[in-house]
Amino acid sequence: MANIYDDVVEVARRTMVLFFVVDTSGSMEGSKIGTLNQAIEDVIPEISEISQSNADAQIKIAVLAFSNSAKWITPKPVPAEDFSWDYLNASGLTAFGDACSCLNEKLSRNAFMSEITGSFAPAIFLLSDGEPTDEYIDCLDDLWKNNWFRKAIKVAVAIGEDANKEVLADFTGDPDAVLTAHNPEVLRKMIRFLSVTSSQIGSKSSSVGKANPDAAPSKQDDFIEQVQIASNSGDFAEDEVLW
Amino acid sequence: MAKFSSGNRIPLKNGTAVVKNKLGEGGQGNVYLAEMNGCEYALKWYHTNSLKNPAKFYDNLINNIEQGSPSPVFIWPKDVTEIIDGEFGYIMDLIPSEYKCFSDFLLTREKFPSVRSVVNAALNITNGFRELHRRGFSYQDLNDGNFFIEPQSGAVLICDTDNVAPYGESLGIAGKARYMAPEVVRNLKAPDVMTDRFSLAVILFRLLFLDHPLEGKRTLCPCLTEELEQKFYGKIPLFIYDKQENSNRPVRGVHCNVIKLWDLFPGFIREKFSCVFSQECLHGQKPRPSDNEWQIAFTRLRDCIVKCPCGGDTFVDLNEDVSFCINCEGKIPRPPVLISKKYAAALFPGNNIYRCHIDVDSDDYLHKVGEVIRSRNRPDVWGLRNTSGYDWKVTLKDGTESILQNGRVQIIAVAKSIDFGGCVGLIAM
Repeated sequence: MANIYDDVVEVARRTMVLFFVVDTSGSMEGSKIGTLNQAIEDVIPEISEISQSNADAQIKIAVLAFSNSAKWITPKPVPAEDFSWDYLNASGLTAFGDACSCLNEKLSRNAFMSEITGSFAPAIFLLSDGEPTDEYIDCLDDLWKNNWFRKAIKVAVAIGEDANKEVLADFTGDPDAVLTAHNPEVLRKMIRFLSVTSSQIGSKSSSVGKANPDAAPSKQDDFIEQVQIASNSGDFAEDEVLW
Repeated sequence: MAKFSSGNRIPLKNGTAVVKNKLGEGGQGNVYLAEMNGCEYALKWYHTNSLKNPAKFYDNLINNIEQGSPSPVFIWPKDVTEIIDGEFGYIMDLIPSEYKCFSDFLLTREKFPSVRSVVNAALNITNGFRELHRRGFSYQDLNDGNFFIEPQSGAVLICDTDNVAPYGESLGIAGKARYMAPEVVRNLKAPDVMTDRFSLAVILFRLLFLDHPLEGKRTLCPCLTEELEQKFYGKIPLFIYDKQENSNRPVRGVHCNVIKLWDLFPGFIREKFSCVFSQECLHGQKPRPSDNEWQIAFTRLRDCIVKCPCGGDTFVDLNEDVSFCINCEGKIPRPPVLISKKYAAALFPGNNIYRCHIDVDSDDYLHKVGEVIRSRNRPDVWGLRNTSGYDWKVTLKDGTESILQNGRVQIIAVAKSIDFGGCVGLIAM
């Protein structure tokens, strides 16, 4: 039987890329990289579900690992439902500057952000336990000149006390967007919460009705608000300092 | 925040709910499956940190429960919990699995089997909001996540009614830019009935055409930032079929559905959307069409649906001798029409007439009072069966009058008019 709704097509959705930028230097070896690998793998189905039921945007995932140099694990962003996490190994130095340069290069309409139906600004999730071992300052400065980066939701998790939180805050542009995990349990919780929340906020039309007249809302502010609610509720309380 | 596990007993104002398992979590709180008096319900538990004013929110929930649901389409709070360590929640009915989320229709995980089911869904949504607004509430946060529709019948359930508040009350709920009125997007106004009307129009547009009424050529941009959302949905919104300005027309290959479907709907429906998304209505210089106007428009739309020999439902223009099927483009001669003061209904086998057709004071589109049937022996003979529960007075073309008792059928072709008791309907052939 004929029906005009038989051949309607899925509405044009924008794309939101969730970037995992992961420190795979030698100091991450052992329980840090182990927990990280498992936690990200575990959260992917949830992100895939957010993407599949979301009429505003689909979510794609891109992974950049950095040790002696930075390397894209995904040659291009992969739809969340097709993505599987390759366990990362840890060895070598912390070429954070190179990671900034690689990110800068791909955050472009001619590279990763080339969707015909357009994108929302990406969400960028940095995980690191150490100190940059390369000359990173100019690379980070250049990255901050990239509009995709400026508009992105940015968050970082410092894994253990040795992580340079100031560098992470320079990356996110906001010390409130840097959390510290001192044990596997909390790292797992943070990875899940931050991936899901940044995906939810980043992949939806922005939340309006809260700011001053004609002031644009800010997804980064909405995101930080959610992070603070979770922190204040004791979701990331640490009983044990392992790292 | 409190996290419950199976077996936890939650004291309610009027009873106790027992938690079974977690169903989901969101920015505002968690939802659990809970049992009370042997029946299953959903229990929503808030992160009080996520509420601007938890005390006000709690009082509002109690007020809403006391006032009762304005219409069965709302999944309304049934009872609030006691406050436990400063936190609280409420229980509500579960959504039956045959109801599918509206976003699933936009993503074509679900499809409507006919225009009749779509039009029924539009009527049910519109009527739900009309009743809500009549009771002095506004909804405040309509979007594609709060509607659930049964695809066959078009039956509707509307959830997230905890944000519903009396006019003028603002619970500080922020909505999604894509669905909020331009004045809310610009933070010039808190959500209210007039802004609900805008959101309702967006939902209705997307129900019929799937694509978004303000997203066309102009809004296709590499990166939709919050600033651009302010611009496209707030400061300078432009309807894709704006009559004066064509710079935001839908784009081939991107906005495929609306390009295909827009022209298939009758002019009076397109005109309603052109009006609500006109620059004057977008910018609040003209009032937006009311819920009642939408309900009348969709009742009229349902009145002109007939079944084409191809098997598909189509619209007929009741003012034209011939219409063309929206599915197969075949010719459809105009069927007989029942003309009452406000409505004109196609008397086509399979169609019904409702209270609103026989009572000038009624807009009741649900209460069936008659049905059009086809003679089993002579399929070209159509009749109108009185199911209203009382007698009608029929005047035939030859001038004779007769009484049509409840349950009896009148051959349409020989009837001139029917007196339904205070309201006379003319039959035009």
